[in-house]
Amino acid sequence: MHNPEHPYKIIVMGGSAGSFSVVSGILSKLNPNFKIPILLSLHRLKHVRSGLSEGLSLNSKIKVLEPNDKEKIEPNRVYLAPSNYHMFIEIDGSIALSTEESHNHSRPSIDYTLMSAAYVYREKALGILLTGANKDGAKGLKSIADHRGYTIVQDPVTCDIDTMPKSALQLFCPDEILSPTEIVQFLNSLQP
Amino acid sequence: MQNSEGKMTYKEYLLVLKECSPYDFCEYSDNSIDRRIQKIMRDYHLTMDELIHKTRNDEAFVELVVEAITVNTTELFRDPPVWKFIRENVLPAFKNRPKINIWHAGCSTGQEVYSMMILLHEAGIFDKAEVYASDISKKALENAKKGAYKYSFNYSKYQENLNAAFADSVVPKITDFFDVSKESDQLIIKPFLKNKTKFVRHDLVKQDLPFYSKFDIIFCRNVLIYFNGGLQSRIVQCFHDNLFPGGFMVLGTHETLNGFFKTKFAKKGPVYSRTNTFHFKY
Repeated sequence: MHNPEHPYKIIVMGGSAGSFSVVSGILSKLNPNFKIPILLSLHRLKHVRSGLSEGLSLNSKIKVLEPNDKEKIEPNRVYLAPSNYHMFIEIDGSIALSTEESHNHSRPSIDYTLMSAAYVYREKALGILLTGANKDGAKGLKSIADHRGYTIVQDPVTCDIDTMPKSALQLFCPDEILSPTEIVQFLNSLQP
Repeated sequence: MQNSEGKMTYKEYLLVLKECSPYDFCEYSDNSIDRRIQKIMRDYHLTMDELIHKTRNDEAFVELVVEAITVNTTELFRDPPVWKFIRENVLPAFKNRPKINIWHAGCSTGQEVYSMMILLHEAGIFDKAEVYASDISKKALENAKKGAYKYSFNYSKYQENLNAAFADSVVPKITDFFDVSKESDQLIIKPFLKNKTKFVRHDLVKQDLPFYSKFDIIFCRNVLIYFNGGLQSRIVQCFHDNLFPGGFMVLGTHETLNGFFKTKFAKKGPVYSRTNTFHFKY
């Protein structure tokens, strides 16, 4: 259950096919002083390696950056996993990058970012899984739930490709199933 | 020495490995090493107790563990803008110098070694280059020496990277430097680029370098990300001490130096150059 007495320390959002416009929409409607750091793990098209952070920055109310390894996570920032790197959270709250093997044919892997957030932040982690074309992210989101964090899955009806949310729904029952508009409302309600 | 769930920790396993082998992974960053060890246990169907037992009693297995911990992701001209910068802003100065010494630290399967060979060749300074490449992984080094890579999987990506690295210039073809074997589905480095590099097995955790000379350029890309802050600093200091003043250090595009090194290196585009600062001792 969502407990406003225990504010979330980290938000991890993952998605693949079709998620760019959803993420871009969410970032454009967040309160500009939205404090909780957001980690984005998004699959990219094979030959589109750069331009994603610039694209997301265009309309975002919050600074979007591709972090360096060991970079300290700061409030009021969006951290986008760099192309071709997995992105993790370390125990000390910094970001770790890795070029290990692809996971579910993906690097970055959404599972990896979510799992490390679950491990480090436990009940203070909020995981959001958006539209996508493979099952990466489902296990990671479940791991957030297993650590008593909060989980949101984009309503499959509102997804371009619903493989990713449906894989999560097959695995466990998330706290919320929301449309992108409702996700924005939920996030903005976290800090009135 | 047990965690709350009653299992032995990965940290403890690394101590066992250190004690009974020449390998010390204790200062690798927690996140990645935990996952690598989990993978080994999964791949070999071992419990932690079995893993520890096997590590203590089976030298050949220890080598497999080292290979499994090592990450070998690399490609020809990975991050083309970095190579373009080296081609345009680093190499021209060496045309008038008698020698250029290069070390690829953590060279993996060698793609970046051969990327540099191509740049040296195209810049006309190939003959005066002295090139070393080192890695902890025996298997990766053997692959690097062969200089043979999957053809159908890599060809278009490699040519695309090469095009970007030589943008605004005459772009060579991958086949100028690699023979294509369609039967074995391989790109094989041509002999004139092949036998230049001296490949040596070396573990960056150990500070005793197997080289006699200092270097003009040290490459170490996407290696430091697997180490914790303390080990990163020791290795960067080692690179600093083994670079000529003004020499270049090339890291991965998402690796940076901590504050301590800010005066010891100057950032020039995507590369670092060793500054000439002297540190007086009183």
